[in-house]
Amino acid sequence: MSNPIQAIPTGLTHVRRGDTREAHQRPLELGLIVRLMRYTRPYAAKRNWLLMFVLFRALQLPLLAALFAAVIDGPIEQRLPWGLALGTAAYALLALSEVVVLHFRMRLAMELGEAVVNDIRNEIFTHLQRMPMSFFNKTKLGRIISRITSDANNVRLGVQEVLFVCLVQGGQMFVAAAMMLWRDQLLFLLLLTLSPVVWAINRYFRPRLSTAHRNVQESFSRVTATLAESVNGIRVTQGFVRQDVNARMFRDLIADHSEYHLIAQKMHGAFLPLLDLNGHVFAAALLVVGGYRVLAPGVDSSIGDLVYYFFLANLFFGPIVAIGRQYNNAMTAMAGAERVFGLLDTPPQWSDPPDAVTLPRIQGRVEFDRVGFEYEPGRPVLNDINFVVQPGQTIALVGHTGSGKTTLINLIARFYLPTTGTLLIDKHDTRKINGKSLHRQMGIVLQTNFLFTGTVMDNIRYGRPDANDEQVIEAARQLDCADLIEALPDGFDTSVGERGSSLSLGQRQLVCFTRAMLADPRILILDEATSAVDSVTEARVQRSLTSLLQGRTSFVVAHRLSTIRDADQVLVLDHGQIIERGTHDQLIADSGMYAKLYRQFVRGIDLS
Amino acid sequence: MPTTPDDPSNGVLIRRLLALSWQYRRQCLTALTLGAGTLLLELTALGLVGLGIDMIQYHADSGITPISGWLGAQLINEWSPMAAVTIISAAVIGAATLYALLWYGAMISEARLVQDIIVRLRSEVYDKLQRLSFRFFDSHESGSIINRVTADVQAVRGFVDRVIIEGLGLLLALLFYLIYMLNIHAALTLACLATTPLIWVGVVTFTRIVRPAYKRSRTLADDMVLRLSESVQGIHVVKGFARQESEISKFQQASLAVRDQQQWIFWRVSTFVPAITFLTHLNHIVLLGYGGYLVIQDQLPLGSGLIVFAGILQRLSTRVSDISNIANSVQRSLTGAARVFEVLDTPIEIASTTQTKPLPNGMLGVRLDNVEFGYKEDQPVLHSVNLEVQPGQCIALLGATGSGKSTLLSLIPRFYDVTDGQVYVGGVDVRELDLDELRRSIGTVFQENFLFSNTVAANIAFGHPEVDRKQIKHAARIAAIHDFITQLPDGYDTIIGENGVDLSGGQRQRLAIARAVLLNPSIMLLDDPTAGVDPQTEHQILTAMDQAIAGRTTIVITNRLSTLRWADRIAVIDRGRIVQVGSHDQLMAASNWYREMAQLQGAQANATVTPAGTKGSDYE
Ligand SMILES: Nc1ncnc2c1ncn2[C@@H]1O[C@H](COP(=O)(O)OP(=O)(O)OP(=O)(O)O)[C@@H](O)[C@H]1O
Ligand SMILES: Nc1ncnc2c1ncn2[C@@H]1O[C@H](COP(=O)(O)OP(=O)(O)OP(=O)(O)O)[C@@H](O)[C@H]1O
Ligand SMILES: [Mg+2]
Repeated sequence: MSNPIQAIPTGLTHVRRGDTREAHQRPLELGLIVRLMRYTRPYAAKRNWLLMFVLFRALQLPLLAALFAAVIDGPIEQRLPWGLALGTAAYALLALSEVVVLHFRMRLAMELGEAVVNDIRNEIFTHLQRMPMSFFNKTKLGRIISRITSDANNVRLGVQEVLFVCLVQGGQMFVAAAMMLWRDQLLFLLLLTLSPVVWAINRYFRPRLSTAHRNVQESFSRVTATLAESVNGIRVTQGFVRQDVNARMFRDLIADHSEYHLIAQKMHGAFLPLLDLNGHVFAAALLVVGGYRVLAPGVDSSIGDLVYYFFLANLFFGPIVAIGRQYNNAMTAMAGAERVFGLLDTPPQWSDPPDAVTLPRIQGRVEFDRVGFEYEPGRPVLNDINFVVQPGQTIALVGHTGSGKTTLINLIARFYLPTTGTLLIDKHDTRKINGKSLHRQMGIVLQTNFLFTGTVMDNIRYGRPDANDEQVIEAARQLDCADLIEALPDGFDTSVGERGSSLSLGQRQLVCFTRAMLADPRILILDEATSAVDSVTEARVQRSLTSLLQGRTSFVVAHRLSTIRDADQVLVLDHGQIIERGTHDQLIADSGMYAKLYRQFVRGIDLS
Repeated sequence: MPTTPDDPSNGVLIRRLLALSWQYRRQCLTALTLGAGTLLLELTALGLVGLGIDMIQYHADSGITPISGWLGAQLINEWSPMAAVTIISAAVIGAATLYALLWYGAMISEARLVQDIIVRLRSEVYDKLQRLSFRFFDSHESGSIINRVTADVQAVRGFVDRVIIEGLGLLLALLFYLIYMLNIHAALTLACLATTPLIWVGVVTFTRIVRPAYKRSRTLADDMVLRLSESVQGIHVVKGFARQESEISKFQQASLAVRDQQQWIFWRVSTFVPAITFLTHLNHIVLLGYGGYLVIQDQLPLGSGLIVFAGILQRLSTRVSDISNIANSVQRSLTGAARVFEVLDTPIEIASTTQTKPLPNGMLGVRLDNVEFGYKEDQPVLHSVNLEVQPGQCIALLGATGSGKSTLLSLIPRFYDVTDGQVYVGGVDVRELDLDELRRSIGTVFQENFLFSNTVAANIAFGHPEVDRKQIKHAARIAAIHDFITQLPDGYDTIIGENGVDLSGGQRQRLAIARAVLLNPSIMLLDDPTAGVDPQTEHQILTAMDQAIAGRTTIVITNRLSTLRWADRIAVIDRGRIVQVGSHDQLMAASNWYREMAQLQGAQANATVTPAGTKGSDYE
């Protein structure tokens, strides 16, 4: 079957078919199933009870049918009213027990499925938290969301339905086959002749169904990714009147997804009826063979046997279709599991070594020793960076945009590890320390600011979770911006909206700044912390900062050069290298790049 | 104000869902017809098997049990016993094959229908989402919005295929079975099906009980997605403050809340379904007792009577267990529908009126007349703002953080509508202009710019996807980003990460400037366009932009004195009011705030640029 979908729609976002990270496991592979089942281990009691009930049902269902047939075969055939009454009563009792078992079987299965999905979600989340920054740069938000929502949900079906339904139905088939074998070997052989057909059908459809389901989920993950981006970028879209173009592209994307769905459904639509047909063929064959045996002289076979056989045939072929139906679920679940495990199996590019040093209270000495760094192999961003910062010093980083200031900060914050050379904090190599013990002593304000949904108070408290309200307010007061926050509609209790969207950018930066100060850091990092704040407010903050910085090491990036004149050391970066260093005054005297930048700065503000 | 329809009643929702289904009546009908065809063929195959058994029995007991029906009589008269049985079995295979074909057709047509609905609903919701005003996005979390387009739409279409088609199919089947059975034995039929109406009662009760639970479970799921997406988007904050553990435990709580809510539902479902199943068992019990009695009394044939009945009841019971699924689907659809319809129904607060005035040709001026505005009703942000920008003029807005500069800017392209007063562009009230035309004539550089994970070229050409490379490069040069782009591995075709994560702050900002410049707009709105760039790059941009903004009406917000160079006039905003308008020199004289600001940046700088005060440098 040729693929009807020619080109992947692109446009709003760039669409890649298939993530390189996607694992390529075979569908219905035993390993995958075993791995899924391992998730039921914490719920072993529940799972075992469930298995019990399932096995119970596997017996109950054929028993019900057999009892029905036996009553026909016995009391009805022999016209015994009392026997009939007894048989009916027994049937009623059995039916009642079946219903009770069904309740537990359903409930336990659903609970088990949900429990496993819950664990999987948590595992994904925990795994994500361990991933280094580079992972998040490469992976779209929507893709991650779809792992935890649709993919994890697909796995649920596999756990709560497929295995157990197949067990019940398979058990039922087995019992039916055994009963046939016991009653009449010849008819059993007749049944056996059909099994190659079933096998062939299965063989034909399995790989095709599996590919179809993979494509369905992959294309859906693309839909979610694009959707997430569209929602986040909606303001730009409206500002640039791109709604129609985007809508067209999105429609292509969902049409693509639908197309895959249709392919899967078509496959399924051929698969099920073909399976079902087997039962009818068997019934027809049964009529001929059974009829021959009943009617031909010399063969001792009653009509009752024949009737009995029809029941058993139903019992045998009913499950084939039921299992066939589960096939769809199984494929969906496997495709989901593949994707979930694909994410879980992506090892973090790096993590704390097992013997990582937990840092004690640090002094704040920072040393770069021949540090080089590249985000992508072959494209160095920092080269041969050497400098030493003594505890308590303030370092200013200056340079053109894209010269590597933020990257350098990222290394100090240990969001990335140096590619070459070593970065020492208090004589400890950052490769060998426990990241959390470092981060607890840091206050970081990044260029891209981020607030969580919640109040201003919650957000500041993020820097030190055990701080009480007074301490939070005190931190803002020390930074001399408490009055600005109090001027918000509900003061510190103003909710900031998603990503802080109901505050102005400057207000958001002040909140981030306060958050970092509340952490009472040994090392403070300010990457354009006040770039959106007006000069008057900035000057207030700066004044209070002078005393707040006492005894703390701090790194400051700012383009408004007036704000960094008091730094102990100014490092001038250009194309990833430190080209000048010294105090403001020294650098001005040296009339190098810094002096040039500064002159430009001064000339810029000279409006007369 | 966005009207959030609080809890539309079931009736209203169902009526709307029915209306939606009605639009697909032809396809529904096809699916149903095919379904009915399969039913008939299934019954035929079943009846044929029954006839076969009777035929065998007839011959075996040498004609004690009578054979009813025309076909049976024909076969007995014309053919030998074995031949008759063979013919019947061939007919069974024939009917079964046809049945399989029809079933295939039914499944395909249903799948088509489902996909048609999904594609349409999704595009509709997406399309609507894109047109909703900023307020909607201010008040709805993105996780919830994403869920609406994905899971909720699925739930809504479930109404058509799971509820309508399956439900009608079930009714149809019931009708067929009923007729078929009544034909065989009326009293037995009625006895067997006596309890079936109870199913309806069960469904209604169940529905009533679990509806709120489903709703709550959607909210909890939204909450969980929000937790996830925030911790991913804010991962640097999480890591920077070493808060991974607490994020994990918060997520676990959210996830657990979903799970607990589900457990509650499971209890109800797993009680409801067996209860319904028991009703089908009752049918069998009655059949066995009463039907068996009838057979004993010779009032009912075994094969085409009892066994066919049993076969039918068996099929009925599988269909009835679908009912419990249907009931579940109804719940899910209703909950999903409420959420999807909420989006579709939210009035587009800001849209063109029916009679729009054309935008005048040539340069456009901007005028704000007594403008009042607040994001929330009782919290005004702008107070009687009056501002006039002549065509081709450039005005700079300055003011303290949170004074309302960005807010003022967002009123001009009508991202929000004023509460009171008027905004004029080209002398026409913006509310009387065509919205798209208005926005196309304005190039905006937002204070925070979103870049899409696409090629650099596509990002620059965002507003005009059809322009050629030359224009893109031209815009990039003006924004002083061309040189950087050519250094990238694939130049203009380099794909950048979501929201430009793999670019530096200044690079992102310059791309955003290029994106706005490319529009070649009559009005430029620049919100702090040079905040993240160094003085030299700023100088480059300013010089290049000088030509670009020549002849355009420009409003620029800035905190930097250097950017004020462009401005013909400067307006100072304080707590939502324009307090002063004038040139640099005028403001230096008139505004304390301005003077302080200028001195903080300029005066001090001037003081130190002359290398006079060499502070004792203790460096190294
Ligand atoms: N995650 C990333 N992956 C790949 N390249 C990156 C990534 N982040 C930054 N870069 C590149 O590394 C270089 C240095 O970027 P960096 O953010 O350190 O600059 P910067 O000096 O902070 O600039 P700005 O002043 O504009 O913030 C830039 O050319 C940028 O494109
Ligand atoms: N979407 C919103 N919902 C509610 N309030 C908002 C919203 N956006 C801004 N505000 C509030 O309106 C006021 C003005 O915000 P605005 O963004 O216009 O300030 P600004 O002058 O641009 O400040 P900055 O210089 O920090 O960017 C602020 O007090 C802010 O908290
Ligand atoms: Mg602003």
